[in-house]
Amino acid sequence: MMAGILASVRANLSILLAGGALAVYALAFASSYDQRLLTISGIYVIMVLGYQFIFGHAGALSLAQGAFFGIGAYVTGILGSQFGAGFLATFPLSIAVAAGLALLVAFPVLRLASHYFALATLALSQLLLLIAVNWEPVTGGANGLPGVPPITIGDWRIARGTPLLVFVWVLAFAAILIARWQLNPRRVAMFTVMRESPLAVAAFGIDPGLLRLRAFLLSAAFGGAAGALFVHTNRVVSPETLGFGIMVTCLTMTVVGGRLRIPGAIIGALLLTHLPEWFRGLDEYYLVAVGVLLLAMVVFAPDGLASFIGRAPTGDRVNAPPTVRTSPEQRPSVGEPALAVQAVSKRYGGIQALDNVGLSINPGEIVGLIGANGAGKTTLANIVSGLDRPDSGTLFSRGLDLASTSPTAIARHGVARTFQTPQLPDMLTVRDAVETAAASATVRPDTDAILAGCHLSQNTDAGCGTLPHGMRRRVEIARALAGAPYLLVLDEPAAGLAPEEQLEIAAILRARAADGLALLVIDHNLDFLRPLATRLACLDGGCLIADGPVEAVLADPAVRDAYFGLVTP
Amino acid sequence: MLSAQLALNAVALGAAYALVAIGFVLVLNATTAVNFAHGESVVAGGFAAVALTGLVAGIWPGAVPGIVLLPGVLLLTALLGLAIAGLAYLPIRDRPPVSVFVTTIAFGIIVANGLNAGFGAAPRTAPALLGGGTVELLGITASRQSLAIIATAAILIGALAFLLQRTQLGRRFRACAQDPEMARALGIRLTRITLLGFALGTAFAGAAGLLLAHQFFVTPSDGASLILKAYIAVVIGGWGSLRGAALGAFLIAVFEVAVASVSSQPMAEGLLYAAVLLVLLVRPEGIFGEPQRLRA
Amino acid sequence: MTEALEITGLTVRHGAVVAVRDAALSVPAGAITGLVGVNGAGKSSLLRAVVGLAAADGGIRLGDRELSGLSVEARIGAGLAYVPEGRRVFPGMTVEENLLVAGPGNARRRRERLAQALELFPQLAPRRADRAWQLSGGQQQMLAIGRALMADPAVYLMDEPTLGLAPRVIEDVADGLARLATNGAAILLAEQNAGFAEHVCERIVGIRTGRIEPGAVS
Repeated sequence: MMAGILASVRANLSILLAGGALAVYALAFASSYDQRLLTISGIYVIMVLGYQFIFGHAGALSLAQGAFFGIGAYVTGILGSQFGAGFLATFPLSIAVAAGLALLVAFPVLRLASHYFALATLALSQLLLLIAVNWEPVTGGANGLPGVPPITIGDWRIARGTPLLVFVWVLAFAAILIARWQLNPRRVAMFTVMRESPLAVAAFGIDPGLLRLRAFLLSAAFGGAAGALFVHTNRVVSPETLGFGIMVTCLTMTVVGGRLRIPGAIIGALLLTHLPEWFRGLDEYYLVAVGVLLLAMVVFAPDGLASFIGRAPTGDRVNAPPTVRTSPEQRPSVGEPALAVQAVSKRYGGIQALDNVGLSINPGEIVGLIGANGAGKTTLANIVSGLDRPDSGTLFSRGLDLASTSPTAIARHGVARTFQTPQLPDMLTVRDAVETAAASATVRPDTDAILAGCHLSQNTDAGCGTLPHGMRRRVEIARALAGAPYLLVLDEPAAGLAPEEQLEIAAILRARAADGLALLVIDHNLDFLRPLATRLACLDGGCLIADGPVEAVLADPAVRDAYFGLVTP
Repeated sequence: MLSAQLALNAVALGAAYALVAIGFVLVLNATTAVNFAHGESVVAGGFAAVALTGLVAGIWPGAVPGIVLLPGVLLLTALLGLAIAGLAYLPIRDRPPVSVFVTTIAFGIIVANGLNAGFGAAPRTAPALLGGGTVELLGITASRQSLAIIATAAILIGALAFLLQRTQLGRRFRACAQDPEMARALGIRLTRITLLGFALGTAFAGAAGLLLAHQFFVTPSDGASLILKAYIAVVIGGWGSLRGAALGAFLIAVFEVAVASVSSQPMAEGLLYAAVLLVLLVRPEGIFGEPQRLRA
Repeated sequence: MTEALEITGLTVRHGAVVAVRDAALSVPAGAITGLVGVNGAGKSSLLRAVVGLAAADGGIRLGDRELSGLSVEARIGAGLAYVPEGRRVFPGMTVEENLLVAGPGNARRRRERLAQALELFPQLAPRRADRAWQLSGGQQQMLAIGRALMADPAVYLMDEPTLGLAPRVIEDVADGLARLATNGAAILLAEQNAGFAEHVCERIVGIRTGRIEPGAVS
């Protein structure tokens, strides 16, 4: 532990020293030209920090960052040069208008799949550019507006050179603090889950739309702020601020620096503002070199330069607030079914996936669901967890109508689910993975107890991506349990496991059922189900052909025929 | 008759845009990847025509008709397509689609700025395909260039249709577009099909560049609006459909010409983008497109 | 009977999961060999590993050629054909195009094989100009098998060809398979339905949680 603290200090120390050295250089040794470059770098730090929210954390290719930068630039430019408004008015307005624009287009734009999102943001940028170039009376047209005043706060006028440099970097530092505040470990983990398990995220009660919206608004706000500062530095606003050039610069800085880490924004901004100076000999071919750099970075170092410094992106351990143990009295009373399915049917194209299926599960029961592939088992699981809707019939779970509730709300109500292929966030530790799954539970469960119950106490700090298959299955169950569910749907929880591991999973599940958890276990593996299940149900061609005690069902000739095909034609 | 000429212009513009959109879909089908350098490929075609004009002018008696440059333009841009495939797509084909966006954006930057450095930022023009002026056709005074554009595009599209529908190579291409893994399981070499898709798709873009450069000039920075139009055409016509893309392209051209005739070109473009945003608001999958899958 | 396909020590992993463990299996020419097991037992993984779509360790011998380490295209070229679960015909292409695309480079030989495929499943002939998505499940299955025939393979790998098919259609498919075997092909048939397997196969090998069960049933 001491070594960990020392290493952390050491890693931060080098950054602090570098920052200190840079500051000394900037203030004491740099020429006014160099200072201007550093000022621009600081402005780009703010823009790239913003872009990291939407492109890095939310994983969405937004091509609108240049547009937000430009909007901020024009708001400040127009109000400043035409109306003489001061910094305290124009700066917040630049941010507000940019964020407002993001909010306006957020609804359609954030629903879209990745290529449509890029298209929509590109269309937005081009539209704004056209307006800027052609609406001459307001924007000054292609030549823009000169005469943007310097930053004035009351009587205090911030001159170019050192004062402006310091001011911009103070704001950049403030931006970093805001970014750190917004990117607390829990939220970073939620973003990670959203990127890596897009289909399963709702099952953990995480609302991906809200997360993306937050990221998009933040990116717009930061972009607008950067644009405002930019025109104060240049004293002129022109369509270049809205052009694709800024967007490319932003994208390159983010990719080169590192799209998920705050130091990446600083590295990217500093590096790419100074590259033209270093590559001065290339003249017009400089931008070609930028393109080559971008291409090379994506192919060879996709996580950017920041990935070569120290810690993993998720950084600090997710600190859980004090936990409240769920007591046995809080369990639902026996007699109230955890799941009541009645006459549910579902048709896909020409196939009747579920045909008038009825099933109920009481607390403490372990119902095994068997049937051939395509018999409807996964369809039923999807409908129960809200990922699909039945054509007819009803499903209720402790009073909640599952057929008309969102998967997120169903998960929060207490219906949890695992998937055939474990959907784990590879970059999180086991403990963090379980903590984030509990993020939206109404009652905070005891993480340590859950990890112990799944036999994971020895492995809480291992990264999920490094785990062998058996352990991954157990982590997935732990995550499902983190939300303190009363009903757990498991889709082939023992698939691919060696017999000893299967026994372990079965023991874990039996212990949870003894606490009152209702279980629906979908599986083919009779060696696994037979000793575990209290009841067995069999689906064949969408119909429920048997439901009863395990041995009775297995002895039923209809089940044997459907499932084993042992009756010869 | 003004409106007939306008209609002809719209059809010609649509034909050129159709080449761009079809080229975009060819790459999409071969790889499921969006090629962000596609717009720059059109521009590259235009500039290839400019450069080749200089070369050919020495040998050709009189003014060089643009049609002569077509084979050269197709070849050069096909090579560009192979370069994009080899450098920006194949090395990262197993990574998430976002990576391919960025690498092709990077390639587009390289092309656009390379052309800027080589040719300068000023707009350039290529010679008309078969000379300028007008011809009398069915009682209408029709622009010779418009007719030539339509004819050239029709021939290229016809040749593509023949390739895809009637040859074994074309069948293999379509198979890869519909189920790449199954195509592999039949012994079809995916990499070759990928290269073919990029070469053909980029060549079509280049041809469009030649066709557009005479009347509309070509500047190194035209790429963004062109990729956007290709994108829009594909969204209208259905993601991955060649016919749909051509239809979408024609609709865009008609819209542009109609709006520009009553106000201005920038207005036409601006309204187009605003319309697209509106459509995406209502139907995220486009007008005819595939139903919205879970957000990928 | 000569062994057309010989599998030894095959282990298939999906990430950390071992889907098939140390499998050994021989598939003779001129016969249908059944690989029977429930879902998740590893049948599909085994077939995919033989084709090369899944990474695996172990020996895969086709006649006198060692296939492990070769690309998918090379294995198909060596004489393997794969009919995957779910048929996976190319939906937008016609029956005839689906068959032709799987054929050899030479146009004349392609047409000859097309004729052979349509002879094997005459039910397809009247529908040759229809798009594959319009066909019924059984017809699509026949199309998928015919498509495999177009490469004139020595070994057919079939994954659950009867899934979702009506009994009468299953009979038609079984007939086709029998005729292929009579003509000398080796067929490895993965099936859940033990009854169908017994009906059609000369030999059955069981597979369970990734391991081949000892003692084949003939």
